[in-house]
Amino acid sequence: MRCNKAQEYLSLEIDGLLPPDSLHELDRHLETCDDCLEYRADLQLGQRLLAATEPELPENFEWKLRLKLNQTIREAAGRTEYPWFEEQVDRWRWVRNFTSAAAVGLAAVLSVAMFMGGPLDNGPATPDNPLGGPTTELASDRLPLDADFRTGRAGTRAVSSQSPFMRQNTQPNMFAKGWSGQSIQDLQTINRLRVENQQLTNALIQGQIELRWLRAQLDTSGSNTLDLEETR
Amino acid sequence: MNLSRDEQLHGSTAASRVALRDLRDEDLIVEVQNGSQKAYDELVARYKGRLFSFILRMVKDPDLAEELTQETLIRVYIHAAKYREIARFSTWVFTIATNLVRNKMRQRSRRPRTISIDPAPDEDHMPVDPVDHRADSSDAVQREELAEVIAEATSKIPEKYRIPFLLREVDQLSYEEIQQVTGLKLGTVRSRINRARNRFRQLIKPMLRNETILAELERIEARAAETDNDGQ
Repeated sequence: MRCNKAQEYLSLEIDGLLPPDSLHELDRHLETCDDCLEYRADLQLGQRLLAATEPELPENFEWKLRLKLNQTIREAAGRTEYPWFEEQVDRWRWVRNFTSAAAVGLAAVLSVAMFMGGPLDNGPATPDNPLGGPTTELASDRLPLDADFRTGRAGTRAVSSQSPFMRQNTQPNMFAKGWSGQSIQDLQTINRLRVENQQLTNALIQGQIELRWLRAQLDTSGSNTLDLEETR
Repeated sequence: MNLSRDEQLHGSTAASRVALRDLRDEDLIVEVQNGSQKAYDELVARYKGRLFSFILRMVKDPDLAEELTQETLIRVYIHAAKYREIARFSTWVFTIATNLVRNKMRQRSRRPRTISIDPAPDEDHMPVDPVDHRADSSDAVQREELAEVIAEATSKIPEKYRIPFLLREVDQLSYEEIQQVTGLKLGTVRSRINRARNRFRQLIKPMLRNETILAELERIEARAAETDNDGQ
């Protein structure tokens, strides 16, 4: 037997896989070959060294494994649709939808309130109160248009008491208070003043149109006098 | 009362865990298929060290080895239902591990390498230097140093020989199991193990005649034997 073949047999022999007849053949070779005897000893020593230097597991290996496994399972579950989860999802979706609808509804109510203005129990319109509404005004219904906040006295310059769109100030001291501090009432005040402002603007435009028409009449009559009775 | 699979099978006492230890791997994986967490824990306890040792000696990077070991054990859990007892459980586990290692090493080999223009000796054919004990004042070879040298030697065995070699020497798989894991013919498995052993012997030969190393090896083996006796 040659040494190459003997070493091949030795590899099987240390694993206990060499058939008896081959084992007998190997034994006879080893009786006369020191190199192969040494080879066998080295193989066995190599096995012992491998076994003795078994690496140790890192710290917390099982804990980290558990963590990673849970994460993998959660990710896998996230990609799966379970029928028993759908009910819960739908329920939350309904709540979310309800919240959105409620928010939109509230915004709509506030918008309407801004444009309508005033309380719902508005009284009938009168010459002094063309928009209707309560005849007894609250402090919050008044805007401090000409209030002198330094002195605490209200002015009378801005709005004529004869204006059909503005109310006469019967309680001038209340201007000094300014805004009511209650936002809903202030919003109502702002809204009402917007409407009045628009009506004044319309009246102004109408007056300007009438003025232009009168000037045109003057130009066409050729005189500096205008018969007002004709123009009416 | 609803009981988990673990409680149904084994109760919740420590004695039940002892019963799990008596089960074969193949029985344990069937329990895992039926939802037993404790059976999985037992399999992890049995295989974590062997897997880590095999993978570390393949990839030579402790962090990567830990990651691949965890990945292997997670795949065991996730794909437990796919296991059929046509092969031993160990074969199945090491097939998963080997495939993961091969894929990782293939990815590594695809990375661009830095090529040196200086002619360097072929390191694969150089024996691994043993630890220089004259420089060590303690005159004792540390286990870690020895493990490092052995790991270095192992990593120099070509990959196609190293896989069957480690599966045999480290994980104690039979030749037939290695054949199933690697997909090689039985004759090729024998041949590659023999070649790898020969190569490993050449690499560690300088330390095989080193008395200090041999003394440390005996100390390590004695300590391991004591630990085993204490455990029993």
